[in-house]
Amino acid sequence: MHDKLNRMKEQYESTPIPDELSSVVNKAIAARRTKNRALPWLAGVAAACALLFAGVNASPAFAKAMSDVPVLGEIVKVMTIREYAEQDGSTEVHIETPGIANLGNPELEQTLNNKYLEENKKLYEDFKDEVAQINHKGGGHLSLDSGYEVVTDNEQLLTLSRYVVESAGGSAESRQYDTIDKINHLVITLPSLFKDDSYIQVISDNIKEQMRRQMQDNPEITYWVEQPGVQSDIPEDLFQSIAKDHNFYIDKHGKLVISFNEYDVAPGYMGVVEFTIPTEAIADQLVSNEYIR
Amino acid sequence: MRGGRKLEKLLIQCITENQDSAYRLAYSYVRNKEDALDIVQDAIHKAFLSMEKLKQTGSLKSWFFRIIVTTSLDLIRKQKKVRVMDDENLEFILPGSHDHYPNLDLAQSLEDLPDKYRVVIILRFFEDMKMDEIAEVLHENVSTVKTRLYQGLQRLRVNLSEEDQEEAQR
Repeated sequence: MHDKLNRMKEQYESTPIPDELSSVVNKAIAARRTKNRALPWLAGVAAACALLFAGVNASPAFAKAMSDVPVLGEIVKVMTIREYAEQDGSTEVHIETPGIANLGNPELEQTLNNKYLEENKKLYEDFKDEVAQINHKGGGHLSLDSGYEVVTDNEQLLTLSRYVVESAGGSAESRQYDTIDKINHLVITLPSLFKDDSYIQVISDNIKEQMRRQMQDNPEITYWVEQPGVQSDIPEDLFQSIAKDHNFYIDKHGKLVISFNEYDVAPGYMGVVEFTIPTEAIADQLVSNEYIR
Repeated sequence: MRGGRKLEKLLIQCITENQDSAYRLAYSYVRNKEDALDIVQDAIHKAFLSMEKLKQTGSLKSWFFRIIVTTSLDLIRKQKKVRVMDDENLEFILPGSHDHYPNLDLAQSLEDLPDKYRVVIILRFFEDMKMDEIAEVLHENVSTVKTRLYQGLQRLRVNLSEEDQEEAQR
């Protein structure tokens, strides 16, 4: 090429790249607003689980039969039963699958463990597909990290949280909780805690109130929620209501916690957000104070 | 929504991989770090907001660069308004200063070249983009882009050999 052009090219390429650039870029990517982040397969799995849980909850005989099993309480164990880990230049995957043992109800234990195994197998296969597609298009960085945590483990309850973090430049995190009654050997669902459907409205209202209060107290906090006197540019994206079987768990103090995945109700920088619902707020709706106090 | 997610991933990848080029391009317009960073940030927001409108008509990179170019021009336009007032003030403060007319036909360096010529040269020779891709970035037709490329080179007093000219036509 022409000498003068070459010199100009060198000069152009020597434009200093500031250190802040990558953090500015990553933040801007993370702040993107996207709807419908839920992975499509989650919907299917959720439906399948709902059926299973409905079976457990709808049959008092079933529940009774299960409660006859000797109480093993504290001996219930959660451990890693399968681990996938792979890494090459630009992609990385790490999936830890939990397994529950000594739950006292082999059937329920088996069902949960199979669910965990199958979901993670699917997660792994989907990831492989995505890597193959991206490589086909010239390659790129992708990573997936999935694992679990025991959130609550006391005489009565075991809450297992499973998380999935997918990164491709920015990252998206989702969490799913299973709360198991160790004494009665059943999986607690959100509707089973309440007398009727009115909890949906009551809890949603309480969350909106908490969102507004947090935003008022701290300008760094943003939720996509309706605010009096503020016109939103994208009103259909605002948080309206929790789902009937929303992701939840019961913390070690016996409080109900509602969890939202990254991007569900807030910009990405807020991460996974959780709201503890004061028990007084839902006292009228609760069936009993057995789990929630 | 699966398609949307895929597109989003590709876009994130495209932005991440081309961030340095995007920054240099923005910098070539505003010539300062703060504004260039602002442009990159703004352009990324705009890219995600208008992602749905992108109908796979061309390469993602051209589309993203196009947003960088329009965002840069917008910023310059906004700043020009401010600059006009400054000049008026300066005239009062500095009486007797002489007007300076640079020779518009001759540019010593790339920075002296008007935006519309400079960007074509940057994209063609420094970012190694093809003519039709540059046309996409600038929303001009290919022949306009070619004309600007040669006019730009002339102003820079760059005389390409015949081989180079053919090379540049691609």
